[in-house]
Amino acid sequence: MTPAQPPSIDSGQTESPSAATPASANPATYAPAPAAPQTSRRSFLKAGGMLSLSSLMGTAALMTQSDDAHAAAEWAEHFQKNYRLMTDQEKLEARVRLERRYSAEYGKPVSVDITGPQPGVLMGYALNIRKCIGCRRCVHACVAENNQSRGTRPGEKIEWIQVLRMERGKFEAEKMDHGYPEGLGIQVGGNAYTPAGQVLEGQFHYNPEAVPEKDATYMPIACMQCEKPPCVKVCPVRTTYREGDGPVVIDYNWCIGCRMCMGACPYWARRINVTTPVLPKAEMNPVTHYLGNRPRMRGVVEKCHWCLQRTRHGRYPACVEVCPVGARKFGNLLDPESEVSKVLERKNVFRLKADLNTFPKFFYFYD
Amino acid sequence: MKKIAIFTVALALCGGALYTAFALEKAQEETALAQAAQEAKEPQVCFESRKGSSEVTQREIQPGLPNVKCSPTTGAALWYGDPFDGTVPMGKMPGLEQLPEGHAVVRPRSEKLAILPMCGTACHNGVGPTANPPNLPKDKRPTAIPVMESLVPDVKDLQHGRGRIWCLDCHHTTKRDKLVDHFGDPISFDQPQLLCGKCHGDKLRDWRDGIHGKRIGEFASDGKKRWFTCTECHNPHNVQDGERNRGFIQLQPEPPPQLPNGMKDARHELVHPVAH
Repeated sequence: MTPAQPPSIDSGQTESPSAATPASANPATYAPAPAAPQTSRRSFLKAGGMLSLSSLMGTAALMTQSDDAHAAAEWAEHFQKNYRLMTDQEKLEARVRLERRYSAEYGKPVSVDITGPQPGVLMGYALNIRKCIGCRRCVHACVAENNQSRGTRPGEKIEWIQVLRMERGKFEAEKMDHGYPEGLGIQVGGNAYTPAGQVLEGQFHYNPEAVPEKDATYMPIACMQCEKPPCVKVCPVRTTYREGDGPVVIDYNWCIGCRMCMGACPYWARRINVTTPVLPKAEMNPVTHYLGNRPRMRGVVEKCHWCLQRTRHGRYPACVEVCPVGARKFGNLLDPESEVSKVLERKNVFRLKADLNTFPKFFYFYD
Repeated sequence: MKKIAIFTVALALCGGALYTAFALEKAQEETALAQAAQEAKEPQVCFESRKGSSEVTQREIQPGLPNVKCSPTTGAALWYGDPFDGTVPMGKMPGLEQLPEGHAVVRPRSEKLAILPMCGTACHNGVGPTANPPNLPKDKRPTAIPVMESLVPDVKDLQHGRGRIWCLDCHHTTKRDKLVDHFGDPISFDQPQLLCGKCHGDKLRDWRDGIHGKRIGEFASDGKKRWFTCTECHNPHNVQDGERNRGFIQLQPEPPPQLPNGMKDARHELVHPVAH
């Protein structure tokens, strides 16, 4: 670092030393510009012409290859189609554009994958609800993998997996009034005036010294990747859809942030970026997928997509790899030898809220 | 007029000198900060499934891409960039013959158990201190030996088998760096499933089929996977149900999610109950 030049001696000899420094440097010494001279019609038209000429030139500069990767991407994104309607060539262009933009933004080589569904693969997930100890490592592995916003202010911290803590016990007559919260009884929430099965904050903000607690069972929930997803039914711009190999994905560029899907999802799986996402450069995961974990913008909805950037290349999702008790299983439902097929064949399996006919591909099991 | 000019010149010179001094100080601070950052960057080690079993050392496999990310709260491994870091082929495992060669790998525990070969030569060599032929205990009731208890604290309170098994049901009598099977043949510490499966056959079957235990790597049924063996998740000296009501030791959870805007703590609903 070179020290800046000391103030020039010449400035001391002028009548007012502050005039030598730029006006923007010190607002206290800012002198208003002299009153504008009377504008004639000629000069007004001339100025207008210059203005439109310069804006046209700016447009031209943006349309051609600009050095500013961010500006070029913004411009091209306005003319981009829905991802499902894009040709392979257009997808490739979008990929190159985004790779340039993210690499410039995060200061490291970022790849944006556009690999489509692989033939013969239908992804499925199984979770052993007896094994889960509620340590929340899956929640934070998901954040490390999927580039969620991780700020501290309200709405800046986004996590896709929620781990619910449920009290163990039996439905006994004398325990009917002792549930959580106290007074509501053990069957929380279910009557004509409050929605059945509601989840209260205390059930997933547990923070004991050590888990598992003796009297608790833990139940992680995230997107269930339904075969008949209610979120897809309600999306007014059809930006969320079911991919050929199972996962329900979102084209973030077409999302208008109306949150219809968040209201429709019976599993509380969707999150919205109400603020500009906070994603430090050092923590950003540079291996991304277009429909998966590429950095999102403000005002779009996001959710679990079973780590498309990994699973499209045969790798386990991040939450499966990090579970310390091996409660999470992932595999190909079309392969009878896969882990999930074996679970379905041999274990007691249920789907969450099966009565809603959403047909999740996420199965809970116990042994 | 001249006076003012002189004063201004003096002031400007002083300002310049001060500025350079500040700039120097700032530069020194920056270098100090950079040094601190470098010191903090010394390899971070995080534990994998349970504390005390296996650890990974953080390093960069690509610019900006680490092999593992560790939790700042608990020190647990949170994310794998390279699932096959430091692994070796698992070896023969009955029932997994159909897997392609080298597609089942494990992480060897030899580093953690480097002391074990010494045990076999120093004390447990089958030769008693006074007598030859071997002066092995006549009955299988463990006796407290202070050296042993200080080396392996778990032996003071063995929580496995509910009092029906003891050390030499699993550990080899003389080869202390090996486990033992029903025929007295040694089993490697990297393949404890061959030993555990002696009693827990149902769990071994589920583990072999991939529905018990943990694997990382490729999800295809014939893909390359790193298999976590029994002792990487369970402490064999302490598996009985205790306070925790599970087969795992208790561990510190990761921090809870953000509370909804305006909510002070998670006890909100206890203080303001929902009308029923």
